[in-house]
Amino acid sequence: MCQNPNEPKKNPSHFESIEHSEDTPTHRDLLWEDYENLIQGMRFFDPHIHMVSRTTDDYQMMAKAGIVAIIEPAFWVGQPRTGLSSFKDYYSSLVGWERFRSSQFGIKHYCTMGLNSREANNERLAEEVMEILPLFAFKEGVVGIGEIGFDDQTVLEEKYYRLQLELAKKAKLPVQIHTPHRDKKRGTERSMSIAIEHGLDPSWVVVDHNNEETVKSVLDQGFWAAFTIYPFTKMGNERMVSVVEKYGPERIMINSSADWGISDPLAIPKTAALMMQRGIPKDVIRMVTYQNAIDAFAKSGQIDVKDFDLEFSPDPNAKFHGNSVLRGGQQPVINKNSLFIQ
Amino acid sequence: MNANTTIELTQFLFEMTTKSEREWLENKTKTNVLDLMTAFVAAPRFLSKKNISYDDKVKGNLIPHLPGYQVDGWSLVHLARVWLLLQIPQDPKEDCIKNIETLFDTAELNELVALYSALPLLPYPWEWLSRATDAVRSNMGFVFDAISLLNPYPELYFPESAWNQLVLKTIFNRKPIHLIYGLDRRKNKELAISISDFIDERFAAGRKIPPQILRLLTPFSNEEHSSTLIRMFASEESGEKEAAALVCFESKEPKLRSLLANHPELELSIQNGELDWSKLESIP
Ligand SMILES: [Zn+2]
Repeated sequence: MCQNPNEPKKNPSHFESIEHSEDTPTHRDLLWEDYENLIQGMRFFDPHIHMVSRTTDDYQMMAKAGIVAIIEPAFWVGQPRTGLSSFKDYYSSLVGWERFRSSQFGIKHYCTMGLNSREANNERLAEEVMEILPLFAFKEGVVGIGEIGFDDQTVLEEKYYRLQLELAKKAKLPVQIHTPHRDKKRGTERSMSIAIEHGLDPSWVVVDHNNEETVKSVLDQGFWAAFTIYPFTKMGNERMVSVVEKYGPERIMINSSADWGISDPLAIPKTAALMMQRGIPKDVIRMVTYQNAIDAFAKSGQIDVKDFDLEFSPDPNAKFHGNSVLRGGQQPVINKNSLFIQ
Repeated sequence: MNANTTIELTQFLFEMTTKSEREWLENKTKTNVLDLMTAFVAAPRFLSKKNISYDDKVKGNLIPHLPGYQVDGWSLVHLARVWLLLQIPQDPKEDCIKNIETLFDTAELNELVALYSALPLLPYPWEWLSRATDAVRSNMGFVFDAISLLNPYPELYFPESAWNQLVLKTIFNRKPIHLIYGLDRRKNKELAISISDFIDERFAAGRKIPPQILRLLTPFSNEEHSSTLIRMFASEESGEKEAAALVCFESKEPKLRSLLANHPELELSIQNGELDWSKLESIP
């Protein structure tokens, strides 16, 4: 989020902590050739990425790097929406166009639905959004209510956070909590205690964007602790390796949160490669880059890992069966190295 | 939409549900419309993921006033969603339209498929015309298919220009045009002109021609088509030759009929009933 537009060098991500942006990125320097062999045959699940602001090239690279499934949480698109229709269109894109686009590259796309904390501060609009949110929360492939929680920690943010926790209970969906950048520690504690107050089982709640300061308490209270590997921010992946070394793989998961900021949709495979280099056991890597996210969000009843194994074929003829409608309209993957454009 | 449709469909649907699924569905009709709409969305969370199955007797006779309306290949969820849509109160009209519009506005892919496939059954069918013609422009394959293939709505309600767009886009998307409901009944001269232009373009680009599309030229074929047909007879693709032969055979133009004289074996197989348009149908 662009807190200070006068500081163009600072990275405008919704995860970013502007005060701490001097860290050197590590994983972004990795070229595919550098780590390809290290992660050969591994599969990854990115439980937090905003594909709506990414390109089709990203999908191609992600598929190549072994990412088989992703979760796209509903969030802030960089500027406030001015009407209900923009929310409807955005939510629809998460379950519609974006999921379709993802499927073209053999990547299974899920999402979490929610009203984000920043926009919760527009009460009139927030009320309207809450009315249509159930129509989206119950949709196929919606694996949680998210990402919700606090930004400025205002009264209105708290109001809509609580209302959405109730919706999560009603819809029997996990919750994905976005923790604030400013006053993070307190915001994280507050998010967790309100969730418990509403009777949510911590094993149904994923607390996102953790750091060394917050992780212990999150794990101790029984929540899932997600970490965002985002360049220039507090959590580089070298430090991620240390966190995993210290706390083990239990209930810890890694994501890229890649969005419209300077971010990296390959953060997970690169971090996995780094972990391999550092001698972290493969089953530990698998847990934090794949299995834990599945276990946490499969409580929604919406994830079937067999879907990841479906033979991906860009051939529009291949998926036709019986008399059902055609699985058509699919575009073959283009060979970019070809001089000929057919 | 009439009461009979609901009864037929209800019986058909409930034959395929378990007791608890049936209860869930019935309960949804007893509450308010918002619950009904949420049920439309939430159906996959409460119903099994199976495909529906039924014997061939029912096939195409499910909806008495819409002979041919097919539910082949539908899932139970798809069928249940269409049924739930028919439970939305039809009066007052404005509310009914607003509710269905909201479902369209918030729909994901599978919901859109259910909505479009339900169009010919929904009340106030003309209200959905612009949505339906928009869906033909969709670049999501499932949505396009739901309106264009095996759906009686376009034949019944599309104006000619929209109908022709649908057929042309089906061809461009390399989908089987014979799955368009009413294809032969709504052949027209404008469409035949577009088809013949399309064939010329494909020739110019050195590309293959989907032979099926030539059926759209008859009965509008004329002398101007002879050069195209001669080229098709010279093709190495047997399908292209056969399609050309069928056009000539069906044509009333003596000049086109005479082209067939050079291909007696094709003429014979048409006369013997061995070759007709259905032989050129492929999926896709
Ligand atoms: Zn996010």
